[in-house]
Amino acid sequence: MHTVLIIDDNDINLTLAKALVQRLGDCQPLTFDRPREALEWCRANEADLVVVDYMMPDMDGLQFIAAFRALPGREDIPILMVTANDQRDIRYEALEGGANDFLNKPIDRVEFSARARNMLALRSSRKFLADRAHHLEVLVEERTAAIREREKELIVRISRAAEFRDPETGAHIQRMAHYSHLIAQTLGLPERDCRLILEAAPMHDVGKIGIPDYILLKPGRLTPEEFEIMKGHARLGYELLTGSGSAVLQAGAQIACSHHEKFDGSGYPGGLVGPAIPLFGRIVAVADVFDALTSERPYKKAWSLDDAAKFLRDGAGKHFDPDCVEAFLRSWEQALAIHQRFRDAEEPVF
Amino acid sequence: MSERLVLDKATILDRLGGDEEIFTVMADMYLQDCDNYCRELDSALGDDDAPRLYREAHTVKGLLATFADDAGTALASDLEQRAKVAASTAGFVAEVAALKARMSLLADALRQDGGG
Repeated sequence: MHTVLIIDDNDINLTLAKALVQRLGDCQPLTFDRPREALEWCRANEADLVVVDYMMPDMDGLQFIAAFRALPGREDIPILMVTANDQRDIRYEALEGGANDFLNKPIDRVEFSARARNMLALRSSRKFLADRAHHLEVLVEERTAAIREREKELIVRISRAAEFRDPETGAHIQRMAHYSHLIAQTLGLPERDCRLILEAAPMHDVGKIGIPDYILLKPGRLTPEEFEIMKGHARLGYELLTGSGSAVLQAGAQIACSHHEKFDGSGYPGGLVGPAIPLFGRIVAVADVFDALTSERPYKKAWSLDDAAKFLRDGAGKHFDPDCVEAFLRSWEQALAIHQRFRDAEEPVF
Repeated sequence: MSERLVLDKATILDRLGGDEEIFTVMADMYLQDCDNYCRELDSALGDDDAPRLYREAHTVKGLLATFADDAGTALASDLEQRAKVAASTAGFVAEVAALKARMSLLADALRQDGGG
């Protein structure tokens, strides 16, 4: 049902136009004898066609059109202006001001119907195009969200694949990801990067898939040779994830390769020093070590949170980036909340 | 000017797409409002308000045109054009009287058509 707004200060003209609109079919006429009231209505409502007389007291048709076109979202609503035949100068001005077509007085039903139908068809086409554009936009958003969800699921599954071969738990992966996210936020990283590290950090040890069981699952201390093989998981993880078009997998590759680097250059695999270590790697190093220390493992008891905090503080500038340690400790209350929130044996929630 | 007005109903109905119902509604409205339009013309004249006389003449012109009264429309149009550029309504007494008379004739013709 189209809404056709009719504005004329003369009752007989209003009645005539209203009757003609009713006879168009599928149209609801709405009449105003005062242009200002019509304009007020237009601020909150959307008509499909506006039929406006030229000569009215208080506000003439040209002034109405100018005020109407200035309202947001009213640029494309068709306007038919009713004028006398001899008002050619007014017609030119109206065209300049945003009228789409004219009706001659006295109004002729055939002419009125044809012009009104043309204008309504124009309106319908514009609405259809706008709706279709909006529909496509929503569709693309939905599809993109679905792809993102699948990507996230895939990442969780990749991360869990490593877990199956590792005594570390799903809860560890959750906590270290959220600690990483917390540090990134406290450092003031853009929201996009904060989300990225939250989603990519769980893949930090995915390279352990390629480490033989006799080393990965060895209950005792590793020999130097075994440790060398174990260190290979950083590069293996990188090789597994690198080259992807996905920003999350790219970040995962960077984290896998750099989270065992140490700020003073004594880490592996690259022996990188300070800012040469990617920031995500420096952040994850703090998060991963803190959670490993405060988690109970078959071969060790959990450290107290304060002892673990002290370890970070002592290692700042040596093992860890001091800025990352400081950011983590500055958000200590939130870190404790993460520690409490993700207990072992919980299902991953991202 | 003739003392009687012959309603050109065929032209009016032709413009209305043959819709008698709309014609009847409009004719009734005209009959109800005719005195008001005449009063408005007198009032503009009495107040020496040329811009208002111009607007009222314009309105009446539209009405008479709607009822296919070409002679009445011409009267109203002439008054409208002259009042538009006039500083005073002083010279329009006769024109206003003639226009009112024409409006009255149209009312008579409409009444006759409707049997009222």
